[in-house]
Amino acid sequence: MIRIRELNFTYNGADKPALQNIDLTIEDGQFVLITGASGGGKSTLCRCFNGLVPHFYGGKISGKAEVQGLDILEHSPKELATKVGMVFQDPENQLVTADVEREIAFGLENLGYPKNLIARRIEEALDTVGIANLRFARNNELSGGEKQKVAIASVLALHPDVLVLDEPTSELDPQSAEEVLRLLERLNDELGLTVILIEQRLDRVVHLVDRMLVMGGGEIIAGGSPGEVMNGDIGELGIGLPPVIRLMRELKSKELSLNGLPLTVKDARLRLQKVLQGAKTASFAEGGVNPEAVLNMDRVWFAYGERAVLKNISLDIDRGGFIAVMGRNASGKTTLVKQLNGLLKPSKGKIRLEGVDTRKSTVAELSRRVGYVFQNPNDHLFADTVEDEIAFSLRNRGTDENHIASAVEVMLDEFELSQYRKSYPRNLSGGERQRVALASVLVGEPEVIVLDEPTRGMDYVLKKKLINYLDDYRRRGNTVIMVSHDVETIAECAERVVLLSEGRVVVEGSKREVLSKALLFSPQINRLAQALSGYGVADTTLTVSEMLEQIG
Amino acid sequence: MRALNYRDKDTVIHALSPLVKLAWGGGLVLLSLIFNHPVYILILFLSIIPMVRLAGVGREWASALKFTLWLGLSIIVINALLSYHGDHVLVTAPFRLPVIGYPVITLEAIAFGAVMALKLAVIISVFTLINLTVHPDDIMSVLLKMRLPYKSVLVTSLSTRFVPCLVEDMGRISDGYRTRGVQLDAGSWIKKLKNRSKITLALLANSLDRAVQVAEAMEARAFGSGQKRVLYKDISISRMDAVTLGVGLLPLAAGIIVRTLGYGDYQYYPNLTSIGGGAVEWLVPAMMLLLLAAIVPFAFIKRRVEFD
Repeated sequence: MIRIRELNFTYNGADKPALQNIDLTIEDGQFVLITGASGGGKSTLCRCFNGLVPHFYGGKISGKAEVQGLDILEHSPKELATKVGMVFQDPENQLVTADVEREIAFGLENLGYPKNLIARRIEEALDTVGIANLRFARNNELSGGEKQKVAIASVLALHPDVLVLDEPTSELDPQSAEEVLRLLERLNDELGLTVILIEQRLDRVVHLVDRMLVMGGGEIIAGGSPGEVMNGDIGELGIGLPPVIRLMRELKSKELSLNGLPLTVKDARLRLQKVLQGAKTASFAEGGVNPEAVLNMDRVWFAYGERAVLKNISLDIDRGGFIAVMGRNASGKTTLVKQLNGLLKPSKGKIRLEGVDTRKSTVAELSRRVGYVFQNPNDHLFADTVEDEIAFSLRNRGTDENHIASAVEVMLDEFELSQYRKSYPRNLSGGERQRVALASVLVGEPEVIVLDEPTRGMDYVLKKKLINYLDDYRRRGNTVIMVSHDVETIAECAERVVLLSEGRVVVEGSKREVLSKALLFSPQINRLAQALSGYGVADTTLTVSEMLEQIG
Repeated sequence: MRALNYRDKDTVIHALSPLVKLAWGGGLVLLSLIFNHPVYILILFLSIIPMVRLAGVGREWASALKFTLWLGLSIIVINALLSYHGDHVLVTAPFRLPVIGYPVITLEAIAFGAVMALKLAVIISVFTLINLTVHPDDIMSVLLKMRLPYKSVLVTSLSTRFVPCLVEDMGRISDGYRTRGVQLDAGSWIKKLKNRSKITLALLANSLDRAVQVAEAMEARAFGSGQKRVLYKDISISRMDAVTLGVGLLPLAAGIIVRTLGYGDYQYYPNLTSIGGGAVEWLVPAMMLLLLAAIVPFAFIKRRVEFD
């Protein structure tokens, strides 16, 4: 059992507490989800469970916290390692040895266990997590999902009572994320392990957990069963409800009797089938495709060495369009978009920016017109202050200082960064760094903006702001190209979708053509709509508002 | 970078004890440093080929050699241009330099450069072979067996493990910089230096972040718990390993004796001396070749013995 009373914690040098007035009891065997806006204290709280806070990070702490009867103030993470196992966000930076077997042995070796016991624990951990086939695999050859499973196995080998995971799926593709979550469900169900999971994508997990805590400003601002929390007033919580739950809340507010709040598509379908009489006919407004292509890819091939990654891609990107590029990991998405601003040049074929072959221009020249936002904001940060970081591209072009000053002000204001203008960008939180990265590219007003997985690991509030900004940006005549696995976001904001597989364009068309009636790449609402098509609901429905038009 | 990483294979060389391979490789590197004679250096180089073939890493070795070739050629060219010793002048420059006089390219300087390049090829080949056939964690175990402090060995092992990540970080950060309109290789050298230093600082900041995350993950798995640490996959030395180790170290021991007796030296300047003289001058390197090659049959015998 975890018992926390009146816990307050402030990091060294911080001017406000990271945790305040935390009162929490977690019973053995519970599956607990912790969510909330970034910077709300989720990771700090989780690091208290195994003593990393305060022993590893240092800081001022008051109150009482006990894990399985051990006071975290008196016991270090090393002593708590057999009580609480912790899995971190980045799969790469938590594996310390070269292969899977030794990785699982690492913690047991540290505790000085006899070799025969280590051998037994390795067997157990491999089988429990289902990675026996990877026993002798090299860690650097594993996929992100496999690495996370190895990290889970390596802490399970220590036989902890509690497993804490800090956004373990945020760096994974949807299939790998699903596998990791299924594993957690099994560990909780079959082994009775207490699982505490931090996660932003509620649609992935709400149906798995017993209890949900929402954090904000270092406090627990809501808690209860997922149904209770999501049925209540969520206005101030800063969390994004899964589309199917948003829909059901809307329907309930229209006094449709649904008997509680369903958490899954299946649950929603069963309840709606009982109460639906019929649907109104809806006609969805489609944004027409601008015949004028700003970028044109003509039979483009690209290879790393002898391995072809893009195979004969021909694509027109219409001016003012919002195009989403989707596909499995390693399907060639990032390689494709890196061709657009010259970071990679085609091995064969041509890319034209307004009719001019991009091979004739440098990356520096192209970057004025095609902005590129990388997945990891750290790859954008070079300057000493936020305002210098935003001014960097303009200054590099020799823009007039007066113009730079006003453009930087607009960006600071737009991305709510004014209070951090003199801060060192790398000292900011993940969400804030992401905003700085976006501002530092958008300040140059490129007519095309390419974003590689911009919503990965982003909290709901920030994601919503980004979508609104991009929509506004596009309405000003610019073009947005977004690589993403986030089907729900794409369903909300994209116009066209390009689906890649093995370096080839498998499907390309309007979002409705590509995302509806698909098995893997369809949003929650479309999956519900397909099941309700017998009631007159259009099976091409993609969003909550479209569904409400028909059955609201 | 990743192409030269260890890959598990079922070969007699992979099956050799890491201690044997490290002792054999270390011996070869030391011999390449103490011998000057081109025949001896050539023998050292040739003795690596059967090991490479038996380990099935010919392609990777060839790519490492391709890199060495360019490095070797530059050693030959630089030595030929900067070393004016030697009596056999092949080319004389038509201009005069202060102090030096008319620069010349001599046969002796080219020969010396070529043997230095061959020494480099031996050293790089040994490192490539060790890298490809010894599991990185086994290297760590061997170092621990030699009673080096665990924390220092782990830090060394971790730094090697994260080199590929560092290379990837570097690529991404440079791309990030280029997309902000910076031309990394344009402008004055001061500008280039400034650009590069920004990338280095960003790389350093990333590495520090990574170091904190790794330390946190280790701490959470009881690293430094105060218990006496156990090594699950310890390096055990069987009787056959001990024999093979002896065979692996034999060339080094013999080489030191041979060198002490005055063999294996060679004068490049002012004139190239004769490569071989009497029968003894050829017999000694032939014996060295045999000793160097002896590890191959012993590798097979060891495997056979273990199989039985």
